[in-house]
Amino acid sequence: MTFSAPPSDPSHVLDAGALARLAELDPGGSSGLVPRVLSTYANALERSRQELLLVRQPLQHEPLRQLAHTLKSSSASVGALALSALCAQVEQSVRSQQPGDIGALLDAMQAEMQRVAGAVQAMLRA
Amino acid sequence: MLSIDSLGADPSYRPKLLLVDDDEVSLMLTATALREHGFDVIEAGSGDRALQLLTERPTDAVVLDAMMPGRDGFETCRALRALPGHEHLPVLMLTGLDDNASISRAFEAGATDFFVKSHQWSLLAGRLHYLLRASQTRMELERSKAKLARAQDLARMGSFDWKRSHTDRMGSFALSPEGLRVFGLPPQGMLSMHQLLRMVPEADRHGMMRMLRDVLRTSTVLATDVPVTVIDGRQRIVHVEAEPEFNDSGYCVGYTGIVQDVTDRRAAEDRIRHLANFDALTGLPNRRQLMWRAERSLDAARRSGHQVALLMIDIDRFKVINDTLGHAAGDDLLVEVARRLRACVRHSDQVMEGTLESQGSRSHRSLEAVGRLGGDEFVALLPEVGGEADAERVAQRVLDATREPIFVGGQECFVTASVGIALYPRDGATVADLMRNSDVAMYSVKSGGRNAQALYTPHLAGRGREKLELESALHKAIERDELVLHYQPKIDVRAARMVGVEALMRWNRGGTLVPPGDFIPLAEETGLIVPLSEWAVREAARQAKAWLVSFGFADSVAVNLPNRLFERSDLVEHIHQAASHYGVPHRAIQLEITETGLMRDLQNVIPSLHRLNEIGVEISIDDFGTGYSSLAYLTTLPISEVKIDRGFVRDLGITPQSSAVVTAIIALARSLGLRVVAEGVENLRQMDVLHRLGCGVMQGYLFSRPIPPDDLEAWLRNTILPRRAPWIGQAGALEGADEARAQTLGR
Repeated sequence: MTFSAPPSDPSHVLDAGALARLAELDPGGSSGLVPRVLSTYANALERSRQELLLVRQPLQHEPLRQLAHTLKSSSASVGALALSALCAQVEQSVRSQQPGDIGALLDAMQAEMQRVAGAVQAMLRA
Repeated sequence: MLSIDSLGADPSYRPKLLLVDDDEVSLMLTATALREHGFDVIEAGSGDRALQLLTERPTDAVVLDAMMPGRDGFETCRALRALPGHEHLPVLMLTGLDDNASISRAFEAGATDFFVKSHQWSLLAGRLHYLLRASQTRMELERSKAKLARAQDLARMGSFDWKRSHTDRMGSFALSPEGLRVFGLPPQGMLSMHQLLRMVPEADRHGMMRMLRDVLRTSTVLATDVPVTVIDGRQRIVHVEAEPEFNDSGYCVGYTGIVQDVTDRRAAEDRIRHLANFDALTGLPNRRQLMWRAERSLDAARRSGHQVALLMIDIDRFKVINDTLGHAAGDDLLVEVARRLRACVRHSDQVMEGTLESQGSRSHRSLEAVGRLGGDEFVALLPEVGGEADAERVAQRVLDATREPIFVGGQECFVTASVGIALYPRDGATVADLMRNSDVAMYSVKSGGRNAQALYTPHLAGRGREKLELESALHKAIERDELVLHYQPKIDVRAARMVGVEALMRWNRGGTLVPPGDFIPLAEETGLIVPLSEWAVREAARQAKAWLVSFGFADSVAVNLPNRLFERSDLVEHIHQAASHYGVPHRAIQLEITETGLMRDLQNVIPSLHRLNEIGVEISIDDFGTGYSSLAYLTTLPISEVKIDRGFVRDLGITPQSSAVVTAIIALARSLGLRVVAEGVENLRQMDVLHRLGCGVMQGYLFSRPIPPDDLEAWLRNTILPRRAPWIGQAGALEGADEARAQTLGR
């Protein structure tokens, strides 16, 4: 797994296929599922962002692992596949007790979170 | 909880899911997707929230995220299982891909199944549907198991498994909770094969082990009843039934089967068997059981060539005791006699049909018993005797045992018995022969004066076998209601009306009527005449009452009594009892005694006659003119009537002597103020002469034969009332002559 280059277009940040599957759950969008999911995700993302700052310094393994695990799953749900993958790496690395150069990984995760948050906000505005 | 009925019966039912995930996005998406797939979804963001919701609302299944902060999925599942009623709630654990550790942790935490988190919603829904159906099936199974357990419990039945073991000679043995209960253990109890076998009484254990080994060796079905002493000390009988189980190579690997407490059933069966084989009053073997024992005894005797003795025991004059003290006292007496007779032999109550063969060559000894055939008849069966001396010794014990006074009905009774002995093979080859011949021997004792024993001899049979059989049958005639009274009217011919009847005994022996001449002499000889006469008095009283009710009968019924009856001090009491029992006056009974009988024992008879007379019972002298009456006594006797013997009547108009005798009798009777009745009047000529001589009351075939009681009313209606019989016209024609004669006599 390599760190993906940050694309500028929201359509490159959030996977179109995943978003399409989301939309399928609410055919015609009558119950506004996609915006509800996205805004829930945005809130969760913001909470994770703030939490991450706390659990990084000093590094708290278990909260970090939990955070990464939850964000991995919700990010996958909305198509934030790169972030989900980064979360998986963090989770794996914490679980394997080899946090090695986890600092760089967390930096990349924070950056990706930032990008995803922007893309989600863009979609919510659209 | 899942409702079977709603789930199974209603396709529109939406199963209620509790969805637990800390990830809000996943929660929202999964819930949405599952609602789309027909589930009713409640969302919970944490394990604690989930546990709270579970107690608040019915839930059919839980979908649980494994990884959650705080109380994670595994902890939640464990806690959920501890909630009452949720032990079997379907729980689907959501795990990460390739997360083998989570899968096994989920299993350990009690999850029903796992599902790898994905967005394949239809797969998740499908998995949940399968889960719910399995749960439904499992619940039905649980219900069915519970029903079975309940049924087994009610039937005091349980199941067990037994597997052969290479390490333990006793094998591995497991009882269901219901099975444990059969042996008095709690459901969580343990019972090893060894402990189980220890419950079987030592006496039966050896045989039981032998049978089990046989069954195992041959791999056959096991079905047996085992006596056990269960944990709390109760004696029970447990039915065990099991079938062998075979492995693929046809080797018997164990047994599976049921145990059932059949104590109550066995007790009921035993009771039925007892009722069928034992006399209810005395508890002795009954006729059926005795016959069975006798047959088995003869079988054994035929095989080993020994002798069998059958003792027929009859209580002397039991009927008198029964009649004077009442049936309850009679029963008490029989019970006491039975108890004593039992002690005279090596009586065995129980003979197990199965054990007879297994106990070896001496087993026929256990057949020895005293039984009651019925009434006052008992039989002692001695399955092996050395000879007649052995049988006689037992007979003597019987005589001695009965002779001791017995206290019943508030007084001491002195009882004796008559015993007849027949031996196999000498006196008979079959049970029937032995019964008959011991009976013949017993009756020879009776006619010889009772209270003794006799061996059967062919001489007995040759001499008076028929007579003995007749006596034997007559003896039972009263009990069997074979005796009947027929009645012959006494007619006042001038008034053409009935003035009384004479009762004449008949014996309905197997459908044919035996005339009195064929059995009364025998009854006299054997003493049976006493119970016979007593019965006749009661029957006459009963009949008088019946006629009184049906057509106003107010005359008397004359009963013939032998003189020995008049010697009995209780005759008056007996007549009083009979009359008052049926509600007729004493005078409804008239007693006839023959002249000969009267004169034979005049001194002893006179007191009775006086007392009878005092209570209103009239006495009639039968067969008058044939004896040698002491005229002096005749004048002092309290009698009311003389009956001219049929011999004189028959010869009337043929020999001059007969009319002379009849004239003399009539004159004598008239001078003593006695009524005169002519017997055996068969034709109009005899009637004519008698009437002319001054005898107005007659009986005979001319008027009516002795007829059954029910025919009397018809006879009165058809003969007397319409005044249609030939003798009635004749009697009318005599009126003039009668008047003329009366005048010549100066009346």
